[in-house]
Amino acid sequence: MAQSTLTDSETEIDLKPDRPWICVVWDDPVNLMTYVTHVFMVVLGYSKEKAHELMLKVHNEGRATVSSGTREEMERDVQRLHEYGLWATIQRADEL
Amino acid sequence: MSSKFERLNDDEFRIVLTTQEAQVLMNLLEQLLELLGEPSIAEPDPLFNLLGLNGNETPPDDPVLRRLLPNAYQDEKEASEFRRYTEDGLREKKRANAHLIYQALAPSEEEWSADQPLERATIELSIKLVDVASWLSSLNDLRLALAVRLGIGDKEGTDSSSEGKARYELATESDPMKAVYAVYSWLGWLQQSLLEAIE
Repeated sequence: MAQSTLTDSETEIDLKPDRPWICVVWDDPVNLMTYVTHVFMVVLGYSKEKAHELMLKVHNEGRATVSSGTREEMERDVQRLHEYGLWATIQRADEL
Repeated sequence: MSSKFERLNDDEFRIVLTTQEAQVLMNLLEQLLELLGEPSIAEPDPLFNLLGLNGNETPPDDPVLRRLLPNAYQDEKEASEFRRYTEDGLREKKRANAHLIYQALAPSEEEWSADQPLERATIELSIKLVDVASWLSSLNDLRLALAVRLGIGDKEGTDSSSEGKARYELATESDPMKAVYAVYSWLGWLQQSLLEAIE
């Protein structure tokens, strides 16, 4: 009697949760440092200390991950950051 | 030195600008509004908008617009898809911000209807706290636009802001870009003073 077996591809159910997405802000020689800090506080709800720290990371390293979450959440953040004129992009966290 | 933003109370800020300064701002805002243009179709169909059937997919040709309406994804396909649904909204937001400042600067009906020609040395503006975000964003949009035209930030990996500064401070008085750079610096100064006033 031939026993039917399911192939891997048939039995494997993708239960992986939606991979977290991140929002990245890139350095820009135009935006004032105080302005970037202000925008991080207003848009992302960060304390002045955290916002300042992130601004410095953008400035010194050329880019910084400023938030993470679902794709929809990151698209909202990027949209708001673009309204303020910051140079922001979305990507999967594992593409970092 | 130009005047700066001051806090009047919890909810209000003021600044006194010369009519010349107000005129410069109005001219720049007019150019920004023209550049941002009208939505991609004249009478947007709300359903079509909801479905993202009207929006642009490709980044704008003008480098200033590409900076004001940047790609949200590094991947071109994903960037196009996102742009299709969101670019009109972003343009609309930026236009609304620019309109708000423009309206605050524009002479009132009374001033226009008076018999005498418009003569005022200064204009005093009162700005509500709720409008501060529009002021900050729109001043920033103007700075970004001028920076692109000035070529600030063209070269990657260099400290291009100080490079731009040196380039324009050394320029001769007859170089028209020197005047543009002066306006760009002034806008940064204004923006900084508003940031300090809201602290």
